[in-house]
Amino acid sequence: MTDPIIIDMGIVALTGALATIGGAAEDLESDVGSQSNPNSQVQLAAQMDFPHRIFNKAISGEPPAYGLWCASSAVVAAVLLESMSVFFALAIGSLVGAILLGMFSVTAHMGRTASQSRFKQPLYMDMVIGHVPAIMAHGYVAVFCIISFSYIMNTIMGHPFPLPLLALFWGVTAGAIGSSTGDVHYGAEREFQNQPFGCGLNASFSGNIVRKGEVGLRNGMDNVWACAKFGGPVTGLALGLTVFLDNWRSTIFTGDNAEWFAIIAGLIIVVVLILLNRIVELNGRKAYGPYKDEEEGGATA
Amino acid sequence: MSAVEGGPAGGGISATNVAILGIVGGLVGIYLASILNDITATTYFSFFGGIGAILAGVWGADAVRRVCSYGLGTGVPSIGMVALGMGIVAAIFGLALCYVINIPVVLGPIIAFIVAAIIGLIMGTMANKILNMNIPIMERCMVEIAGAGCLVMIALCVTISGTLVFESHVATDITILTSVVQTGFIALIFIGGAMIILHPFNACLGPDESQDRTLYVGVEKGGIIMALSGVASLMVLGVIPAALTIVIGLLIWIVYFTKFINLTKRDAHKVIGTGLLPTEEELQ
Amino acid sequence: MTDFISLFDPISIVLITIGGILIGMGVHFIPVGGAPAAMAQATGVGTGTVQLAAGAGLTGLISAGFMYHMLGNDGLTNIELIQVMVSGAVGAMIMIAVTMFIGQLVYVYCVGVPPVSAKVDKDPITGDIQDIYVSKGTEGHGIPTVSFVSGVIGGLLGGTGGSLIYAILMNAGYPESIRSIAGPSPEIVALAGIFSAGVFYVNAVVASYNIGGTIEGFHDPKFKRVPKAIICCLIASLLCAAIAVPIMGGLI
Repeated sequence: MTDPIIIDMGIVALTGALATIGGAAEDLESDVGSQSNPNSQVQLAAQMDFPHRIFNKAISGEPPAYGLWCASSAVVAAVLLESMSVFFALAIGSLVGAILLGMFSVTAHMGRTASQSRFKQPLYMDMVIGHVPAIMAHGYVAVFCIISFSYIMNTIMGHPFPLPLLALFWGVTAGAIGSSTGDVHYGAEREFQNQPFGCGLNASFSGNIVRKGEVGLRNGMDNVWACAKFGGPVTGLALGLTVFLDNWRSTIFTGDNAEWFAIIAGLIIVVVLILLNRIVELNGRKAYGPYKDEEEGGATA
Repeated sequence: MSAVEGGPAGGGISATNVAILGIVGGLVGIYLASILNDITATTYFSFFGGIGAILAGVWGADAVRRVCSYGLGTGVPSIGMVALGMGIVAAIFGLALCYVINIPVVLGPIIAFIVAAIIGLIMGTMANKILNMNIPIMERCMVEIAGAGCLVMIALCVTISGTLVFESHVATDITILTSVVQTGFIALIFIGGAMIILHPFNACLGPDESQDRTLYVGVEKGGIIMALSGVASLMVLGVIPAALTIVIGLLIWIVYFTKFINLTKRDAHKVIGTGLLPTEEELQ
Repeated sequence: MTDFISLFDPISIVLITIGGILIGMGVHFIPVGGAPAAMAQATGVGTGTVQLAAGAGLTGLISAGFMYHMLGNDGLTNIELIQVMVSGAVGAMIMIAVTMFIGQLVYVYCVGVPPVSAKVDKDPITGDIQDIYVSKGTEGHGIPTVSFVSGVIGGLLGGTGGSLIYAILMNAGYPESIRSIAGPSPEIVALAGIFSAGVFYVNAVVASYNIGGTIEGFHDPKFKRVPKAIICCLIASLLCAAIAVPIMGGLI
């Protein structure tokens, strides 16, 4: 017989893998549509006389938004689970979540653009038609992965919360991670490639986002292409690590005092992360060094 | 207009009228659904709950619009989340209190609404007096947002369960506790209600925001959440009442989405299929 | 009615209030720079206060729910209550530490800025000089060690507070008299979960209004405003506790 711990570890690994894919898709979705904090620059651009062709999707912060997609997908899945197999229920549930995301994106983009009419920002309908399917596609992958690992936690690992509640909580967490990690790549680097690398963003350049692409005018598709190289994958890593490490430490220990071991293991993980962060900080300081006078701001050009 | 300069938001319908619409509409929706269901001993009238939720949600969206025009220091979403945080605690208190102290369930929504208003008043006063936010309409808007959040929650609960009974001594009865809480559908109500209230202003934020367009977004989003509650009620009420809720919700969505598109065409600088960016001369 | 009054269990109400205060304090420790941080314009994580705190707190709530499920079917002893709380705290700390670490990777290797704070001259923990690393026109960027440690403490407080509220509400809805081997009924679990989330959001938003959107951690001058937030969270959570406890207790 296989040791049951091996099966348990397999399940934990599966949740981690699903979370990794889901996190990456979540971040890329918010790059196509330009959601969350970096969108403040897209919003500002038109105001500073820089009209643009970038999708301005201000549904709400990512965490409540992803909470809603995941909770509603999980509700639909929970209803369908009464009469269907798991895979169909989860797949159709996620489809409903993705359609919902599409509906909210359309009103968010059109509403914000129309509210900027004094800055003469036109509303391009081809952008709505072109971007919304891509947003829904990324959103589908993200929502499917998140409600899948919520379902695994609920049914197989025996978490006491009902599926929609668990999906809501993980959706909020996924949104919080996505807007804290991957979006920085989009906001601080991709939107401001017209500034020298590593200068930070001088407040006086706010709103001066890159509006021209490799071919033609830059849009959300160009942004997701760039962000898929770093921001998306690391966001997936962050959500995957959160889900995996948290489940791993609750599952690996059995027998007496397993709870205390789980807690101690968690604390060790946190201490290791603090040390790793210190190493990265030292590396960064060493590699870039202090700002010199002539380079100060770096962005005189 | 408002968002840039940080002044009070104007608009066609006065704040008081929207508030009356929200309170009366929300409560009437809740009571129509539960009382008609009781009288006829069916669950076909549950969709009135969804309509009540939309009206209360529009009121909440208008209150968010007025308070957020002042700039809160954090984003629009946070005030929607606090609304539903207060709303959910008050709503469950009101509904469950009827069971705990054995009073008629029709009093539940009123008690919940009053409790929500009190919590909102205290939160608003604290924000201005202790945290020194100094937003003149903070107290009033927090009362309105908490009240609206509470009504949206109760109305959506009624849409799913078709009843105001929170818990019953008879095990076979449909109650909110078994049909909405135990199944986890309350998660959808919590975040869906928040999005009806916070999304409209967040979606239309900008110097040329206009009240009618923002509130149409509220109605339209309410329609979608109503349809989703209908899907959830498939598991509780059966096919016909659920289908009624879904169809009516989607109809509301279609009608108000069209109206929103028309207003967008009215308000936008120009709506074009595709094209280049405006030139320097055009921007002058 | 005397029966109803007796449902106001003072110990539970006090503990839930303490939980709310812990959440409010935790939010002040989490380094968030809001929208400017997402453009490497300010120190901290590039997202909103409430959102990051909620993400961490809800992860903690999931861990605490798991732990309660493992331990609490026969009721919680005091030591088990502590285990549930610490478990929630560790869940929240892991989430926030992973998020800050990955965020740091993006700042250093993708945006190309060293982590630095503009609010202090020297990092209070490592003693590194800060001001010469701040690029022009910004208020710092990335997550220096002091902010990282502060964020972990924030996760600790927020996670402890959230799971304390959850555990107390579960205890109120599942008192000694009805404990069985089957464990608490699922509706009590769900109700306690959503109640905790509601109380969590109320306290987190109050605290974030206090700091006005951005804070770097416990070394930030804004941190001196904590007492105000404690008063507000005390009042707000006392209210929520006073209406949640009798309801959970009265549902059996």
